[in-house]
Amino acid sequence: MITEKRLLRAEPNFRLLAKLWRINWIYVLLICLLGGVGYGALYSAGGGSAKPFAGPQSIRFALGVVMMVALAMVSPKLLVKLAWPFYFFSLALLVAVLRMGHVGKGAERWLILGGVQLQPSELAKIALALALATWFHRASYKRMGNPLFLIPPAIMTLVPVALVLKEPNLGTAVIIACVGAAIFLGAGMRLWQVALLAAPVPFLGEFAYSHLHDYQKARITTFLHPESDPLGAGYNIIQSKIALGSGGMWGQGYLHGTQGQLNFLPEKQTDFIFTMIAEEWGLVGGLCVMGLLLLTILGGMLMALRCRHQFGRLLALGISMNFFLYCAVNLSMVMGAIPVGGVPLPLISYGGSAMLTVMFGFGLLLSVYVHRDMRFGEVERAGV
Amino acid sequence: MALPTGQPDPTLDRETVVRVTGRDLAQRATLEKMRARLLCAAAGFGVLFGAVAVKLSIATVLFPMAPAKRQIAPQVPPIPKLSPDGDGAFAGDFGLPHVRRATITDRNGQILAISLPMAAVFANPMELIDATDAARKLKTVLPQIDVDDTVRKLSSKKQFVYIARDIPPEKEIAINDLGIPGIYFEPGEKRHYPLGRTAAQVLGAVDVDDHGVAGVERYFDKRLTKDQAPLRLSLDVRVQGVVREELEAAKEKFSAIGACAIVMDVRTGEIVSMVSLPDYDANLFSKAVDDQRFNRAVTGMYEPGSTFKLQTAAMVLETGVAHVWDRFSTVPIHVGRFTISDMKTDHFAPWLAMPEAMALSSNPAAAHMALDAGAKRQQEWLRRMGFFDRVPVELPEAARPLLPRMSNWGLSAVMTVAFGHGVAVPPLAIVRGTAATSNGGILVKPTLLARDDDAVSASAMPSGADVPPPVLQPVSATTPLPGTPTAEPEIVPQGERVLSEETSSLLRRILRMVVAGPDEHRTGKAADIPGYFVGGKTGTAEKVGAHGGYLKHTNITAFTGIFPLNAPRYAVYVMLDSPQATKDTHGWTTSAWNAVPTWHSIVARIAPMMGLFPVTEGADKIEASLSISMNPPVPPGFHQLGPGNDPGDPAHLAALAKQQKDAEKAAARAARDAQRAAAHPGTTASAPPAPRDRREAAAGPAAALRREISYQVPAR
Repeated sequence: MITEKRLLRAEPNFRLLAKLWRINWIYVLLICLLGGVGYGALYSAGGGSAKPFAGPQSIRFALGVVMMVALAMVSPKLLVKLAWPFYFFSLALLVAVLRMGHVGKGAERWLILGGVQLQPSELAKIALALALATWFHRASYKRMGNPLFLIPPAIMTLVPVALVLKEPNLGTAVIIACVGAAIFLGAGMRLWQVALLAAPVPFLGEFAYSHLHDYQKARITTFLHPESDPLGAGYNIIQSKIALGSGGMWGQGYLHGTQGQLNFLPEKQTDFIFTMIAEEWGLVGGLCVMGLLLLTILGGMLMALRCRHQFGRLLALGISMNFFLYCAVNLSMVMGAIPVGGVPLPLISYGGSAMLTVMFGFGLLLSVYVHRDMRFGEVERAGV
Repeated sequence: MALPTGQPDPTLDRETVVRVTGRDLAQRATLEKMRARLLCAAAGFGVLFGAVAVKLSIATVLFPMAPAKRQIAPQVPPIPKLSPDGDGAFAGDFGLPHVRRATITDRNGQILAISLPMAAVFANPMELIDATDAARKLKTVLPQIDVDDTVRKLSSKKQFVYIARDIPPEKEIAINDLGIPGIYFEPGEKRHYPLGRTAAQVLGAVDVDDHGVAGVERYFDKRLTKDQAPLRLSLDVRVQGVVREELEAAKEKFSAIGACAIVMDVRTGEIVSMVSLPDYDANLFSKAVDDQRFNRAVTGMYEPGSTFKLQTAAMVLETGVAHVWDRFSTVPIHVGRFTISDMKTDHFAPWLAMPEAMALSSNPAAAHMALDAGAKRQQEWLRRMGFFDRVPVELPEAARPLLPRMSNWGLSAVMTVAFGHGVAVPPLAIVRGTAATSNGGILVKPTLLARDDDAVSASAMPSGADVPPPVLQPVSATTPLPGTPTAEPEIVPQGERVLSEETSSLLRRILRMVVAGPDEHRTGKAADIPGYFVGGKTGTAEKVGAHGGYLKHTNITAFTGIFPLNAPRYAVYVMLDSPQATKDTHGWTTSAWNAVPTWHSIVARIAPMMGLFPVTEGADKIEASLSISMNPPVPPGFHQLGPGNDPGDPAHLAALAKQQKDAEKAAARAARDAQRAAAHPGTTASAPPAPRDRREAAAGPAAALRREISYQVPAR
């Protein structure tokens, strides 16, 4: 609802100190809490030791916090200018990873740049959110009704999706597509257009299934009947469910989760870390972590709502959407609700690339919040 | 909606002036429109998280999934329960372990081959977390694996790789205790041959997948996997052990390159022992070389040499072509580029009657016998005796004898085959033929399976699975030994009758004369064992060299014998491949100097073992019943073959060769006349036996010629 107060709020000053003060420190605290949960879980995954997971991860996390706060100081005006170079840079990385990427677990997903492992598909999500937000920034609601206006951003979305599919990394491709779609909707795309686009999705799905890799097909079939092949492809899901079941209401106790500690649980430091948390802390612990994650997502949405310019709002929406999808896909996966797909739990799972890109996103989010009342993208007026 | 302009908001900074234009408002409106959508999205996130939370509650608290039993203890073998009577033993912890492949035992229930439960360790690399760690841990239990190699296997993108096979149960548990996820066990078994070299070639082997690849394991592969009851062979490991030991000693002593021995029951065809040297440890089949795996008894093709003369004598006696009193020339025969002669002839009379010809083993005499019978009869005889076919025994390695081509079975073939050259047969076929000559004339089928109605089977082999089989138990003193005369009924040999009782009886005496005849130079002298009435026939064949042609001093020496001849029970065969002369043999490498003494020491040890004891009571009587004169008297009404009445006389042969060219047409006509005359009923009516009559009709000026033709086209 439009209130007079909100309409007439004047632009605050953007001196560095003032901006620093205006950072949503509660949100930063929330992120640090999640980082702490991740440290504890990785400590347990390492068999009660900071090595080999928890220690390195905490250093990366600290770097991430610094990067996040630094990014919060960057003005959206600069971000708009950098959006396009950043977008094309990420596309170039996606092409590079196809050409000379490090093959890990059957897919070319990693790129090693100066000793740093980089997963360009993570970067592409943020880059796409930035680029789309820039595109839609000045679009009026009326203009959004014009289908021709929507074609370039659609291509902008589909190119990285196609490149990531080619890696192949189905899970991330779907997430990128969803982030794109969320921004389209948030920008004011007409609902009838959405319905029109959504109609052929089932057919596309069938077509896609026929082009899936065998291991991807196996994931889908074992998702439907995980018990049919308990030693084969259904192993992960069943182990995860058993671990969750052994956790119960209050859990088996920190460092005492049998399935996780005995290595029955596969990938417990990455994809299945939530299972390990739930095994050791039970339903209560699992719900607490989920609550923290939901608060982080809703906080992002709140920042989007609170922002007075379209760019910031769409960027915040995209980043929140990205974080939400990460969480939702991972949580559903470990509970056997969707096929397993190599998606980590952000901020908690082990892995630098995923965490740093998520923190990069949060940095942008904080920047949006800091500059929420900035006069930006509105009609230029003299004398102000 | 809008506030009146120019009236600043008191909450704001005073210097700040806000002006709102139409376009500004339009954009604000756009933002506000999307507000609803953002709120919807936020609500959607919340709802989805709620759904996940519900799912989490279901998985953790409401319907927790219990680990499957196989997950808790997927690899531990079932633990036997303590037996209720509290003797500390585990119930069911006795008897044979549960395996797929049946045990093979000898005739007394002694285990020859047994499957032991062994597991194969395999991994699903897709489930492994740390291949290097897993390989390192596995190495602690399995020292035989290579860590680098295992890491490579465990890092592959497969879902299944073998890490090690044939892991004993204690290691299986140790690996299981390592608790490496993704490591599994496949229950399997390993064939074990507790007696090592004993009967290794007979037993054969199984491959890694437990399929028989050689020997009995292969022949009875289906039976062994289908039926869990032990497969009882006719072999007797005690006899087998002794035979092997003696044969090995002889092989060493005479520096032979190989050796072979067979002991067969002449009544049932049961093979009690079959040894082929060199042999190998059956547990190390894969390490054995071809020469060791080669079962000389059934696969080895050897020229039988003089042992084949027994067949020639049997043939002429049974067909009535010659009689035991007939005399045969020992003068060397020249046929084309060959000369048929004896090695040492100084003690030979130029004409020998059949018993002496056999005892001294004269090659020309045997050739003359065969010449009298002719090619057709010879072929027919060998076919009846089974020398044309694969020797029928339960071994996949049994081979088909090598014979001259039927189209090439001319004069020289007839003569050489008569004394066992130009033909190669497996030793088991010789043993079978020898058994038929002495068991009353029945051609038995050699078998490796113990007879079902044997008295031993009832006591040694339990019928129900509940009764623990007496594995590894010594055969008790009360168990009747095989062949104990009191314990068994009379066994009548089963099979085709190839000889009459009379001929068989005659041949037994001839075999006895080879060993115990009056002639000082008899070849089988060294075989005699007092009280056992042994008999047999020696055989020495020169080996064919690498470039064709016979090697003068490299022989295959053999002795095929029967004991006891008064009531034949066992045929025993001994063969030495390329025995060398020793100072005891005075430079000789013939059978009489090596194979015969070996045969003697084998039989002297195994006979008591098989329940046969030397007969001392009435020995003279028995001896008398087994003897035959070296020059048997000619009964009245028979015209003895011999000097002046010999179709194979070298003088006649020379005349034959001379006349052949210019008398071909006349010969053909004469042959037709002769046949017509022979076939005419009137001429044969008053004569004693038909063949005799024919020979006498043939005797005369043109006899040799007509005879020669009759070899080619015998009128029967």
